[in-house]
Amino acid sequence: MSGATTPLRWASRSRWPPGLGLAALAAVAGLGLGSLGALLWQARGVHPAALWQEPWLAAVLRFTLWQATLSTLLAVGLAVPVALALARRPRFPGRGLLLRAMELSLVLPTLIGLFGLVAVHGRRGWAAPLWEGLVGSESGYLYGLSGIVLAHVFYNLPLAARLMLQALETAPAAHWRLASQLGLTRATIWRTLEWPRLAPLLPRLAALIFTLCFTSFAIVMTLGGGPRSSTLEVALYQALKFDHDLALAALLALTQLTICLSLWLLALSRGGAPSLVVGSVALPTGGRWRRRDALGLSRLTDAVWLTALAALLLPPLAAVVLAGLAGLPELPRQASLWAAAARSLVMALGAAAGALTLALSLLAGSRWLKARRHGAAALLMEGGGQLILVIPALVLGTGLFLLLRPTLGSGWQGYGLVVLVNAFMALPFAMQVVRGALPGLSAPEERLADQFGIRGRVRLRWLVWPRLRRPLALALAYAMTLSLGDFSVIALFGSPSAPTLPMLLYQQLGGYRWQGAAATALLLLALVVLVFVLLGLLTRRPPRYPWNRFAREERHARVP
Amino acid sequence: MSSKVHAAGASLAALLAAGSLQADQTLTVYTYDSFVSEWGPGPGIEAAFEARCGDCDLEFVALPGGVDILQRLRLEGEGTRADLVLGLDMNLMAEARALDLLAPHGADLAPLALPIDWSDETFLPYDWGHFAFVYDSEQLETPPGSFAELLEAPEDVKVILQDPRTSVTGQGLMLWIKKLYGDRAPEVWARLNERVLAVTNGWSQAYFSLFMNGEAPMVLSYATSPAYHMAVEETDRYQAAVFEEGHYLQVETAAMLANTGQPELAREFLAFILTPDFQRHIPLGNVMNPAIDLGDERPEVFDRLIEPESLTFSPEEVRAHRREWIREWLNASVR
Repeated sequence: MSGATTPLRWASRSRWPPGLGLAALAAVAGLGLGSLGALLWQARGVHPAALWQEPWLAAVLRFTLWQATLSTLLAVGLAVPVALALARRPRFPGRGLLLRAMELSLVLPTLIGLFGLVAVHGRRGWAAPLWEGLVGSESGYLYGLSGIVLAHVFYNLPLAARLMLQALETAPAAHWRLASQLGLTRATIWRTLEWPRLAPLLPRLAALIFTLCFTSFAIVMTLGGGPRSSTLEVALYQALKFDHDLALAALLALTQLTICLSLWLLALSRGGAPSLVVGSVALPTGGRWRRRDALGLSRLTDAVWLTALAALLLPPLAAVVLAGLAGLPELPRQASLWAAAARSLVMALGAAAGALTLALSLLAGSRWLKARRHGAAALLMEGGGQLILVIPALVLGTGLFLLLRPTLGSGWQGYGLVVLVNAFMALPFAMQVVRGALPGLSAPEERLADQFGIRGRVRLRWLVWPRLRRPLALALAYAMTLSLGDFSVIALFGSPSAPTLPMLLYQQLGGYRWQGAAATALLLLALVVLVFVLLGLLTRRPPRYPWNRFAREERHARVP
Repeated sequence: MSSKVHAAGASLAALLAAGSLQADQTLTVYTYDSFVSEWGPGPGIEAAFEARCGDCDLEFVALPGGVDILQRLRLEGEGTRADLVLGLDMNLMAEARALDLLAPHGADLAPLALPIDWSDETFLPYDWGHFAFVYDSEQLETPPGSFAELLEAPEDVKVILQDPRTSVTGQGLMLWIKKLYGDRAPEVWARLNERVLAVTNGWSQAYFSLFMNGEAPMVLSYATSPAYHMAVEETDRYQAAVFEEGHYLQVETAAMLANTGQPELAREFLAFILTPDFQRHIPLGNVMNPAIDLGDERPEVFDRLIEPESLTFSPEEVRAHRREWIREWLNASVR
């Protein structure tokens, strides 16, 4: 086995990780800082004082920080009990449906998500009679801060809970076996098993969600009830599009960048400490252990949390699906629909592959650096991956335009660029998912593998890959669906008359075709479900590794 | 392996670039995306023009809106690929003119049938419409008959607006109020805000996410919007409220680039704009009024639309004051 090894080693001694990591970092920084730089370079006379002279700007900034903090706390905080309940109950009717719904809500185009939320929570929504019955006054909670936070929780709690669930599921089976045999209580399990899994995840997850809420644009404006609640991006939009004030736009982008990136650095430095169990990632073998903490009172609390999750997620999605079903008769009349769907899928696949490659490169590079005690450099490399998320798409597009003109935008170059930018935008999500799995082998395992001469491709194939394949599939699915639903980037570069699915949807809305648009949204959701189900199926069945053959007997035969 | 990659790349290119075959004479037109969608006026106009010019290819490049067309011209400058731009409205004209990139259209303006006089030599109107509040007759039986009545309307008559910083209709309302009330505009904004349910970033959010969900009885839109509901959805439920003070007018225009490599073809297209072959696609395709008298070809539902007085500022006035007026609106609304 070891005779055929190549010198390529994924382990920390190889020279590949730093090179790949640096290349990926250079690409991200080049794109992000390059476009920002282009804006600054084109702008004549930048006056930072202009920021302080706008009294409304301070108010906007305060409001943005407040709503983003509140949304993040609620989304992440409530995701914890939800994820715990889901992990505690691996089987119940509707669990699969709930998981699919969780994956959907993140990628719902904002306009469609808003339609669903309004249909349920609006003044004349499904929940309005309930509200009036309970509270006695007319239901108006969708407009104002409460509505913004509700929408942000709707969008982000499922993502947080889904990633936490994944982290919880990586706890080795042996630990659960032990917990079960020792009869540990719920509190002890939380302290010894669950919290150590979640803790390293939380700071990054919170930073990611904070960034998403901080830069959220359509939701804040539509539900905020007026210019009192607005975001920096609105000011940026105005500066760039209506006033062509590149200097102010660059300043606003820098403000956003500074706030979000410093938060990321804080999160990364807090969450960077590897927890005790990292490295001993569970192999995806069977053998679920009956959890004692699933009995008694937790039956009730879990039921409450899961019902609450379903009540949050399902009705708006159902509203979208119902509207889409009503629009189905319009579908056959749309010649461009299927071509648009195919185009979107191809582009999403490209973007997702790009995002994964970048994520793996950055993480491998960062890990290599960390192993050599270059903590700051490792932090920078990992933080770099988040850069694109905090630079507004509008700035990115305009900056790229300034950099690359006049060659940009002709024919399918434009599409290539969209795929590229989408890959960078999906990067933080991909990193979030893959990160937990990448450490791969623990030090003792690595030593053992070295002693046996299990190296290079073989080690990758038999020791690392089995741990990576499920997170990779999940990351690929998230990255794909993110670019499937993306409209902001493709809108920047303009297009010939061949639209992608979200473009088609916006065109339909612009042309009063509500029914058709709802049907297009339904198709988009169906594609997202398809991507998740397909990638889940491909990696669900444990591959035929030698140890799997004994997995079942082992459970009975061996005593730890 | 590499041949496979090439084949995949080529088929990808074919898939992505589907429909943009290069002919000898390609005329590139920057426009907004609802214009080129398959149910919009674009495809019909393209077919009609290509049949007329023989060996030419009309290629639309779709951007999100009129502001984006202007922005793109600004960024690309003289190196732009565009031969023509289609979709700049009156409020963007002065800024577009200041770029010094456009050439006179040279078209005969005699067929024009606009509610105002038009003599501009660079910008050629292709359609027009009034901004208006569209109301849901199932929620509101008698809509306000004037702006004054809207401000006095009962507590539960809520309206959905759009932000003038991000939306063309929002900017239209800002100019409308400024035209009607002048220096008293801030006070009017403050009173109007008591009626406001939401100020969205775009027209689609307001109309689709909120208004069609029944969230408020009135939404800021176009006087022509009901035509679509009546003609295509065959319902009279949504109508525009006519205000006796008059409505702000939007005129959408086309213009050619001075640097175009196809000046004759571009002029041919501009002349084509004011013919029935172009204009018949406007009423239901773009849901706007045609710029010429279409006679019997105008859909009947257009006879049932409101016909208010037209209010306008000159493009130069808008250019000079827009920022200041937006700030005024912002201050009045944030209070």
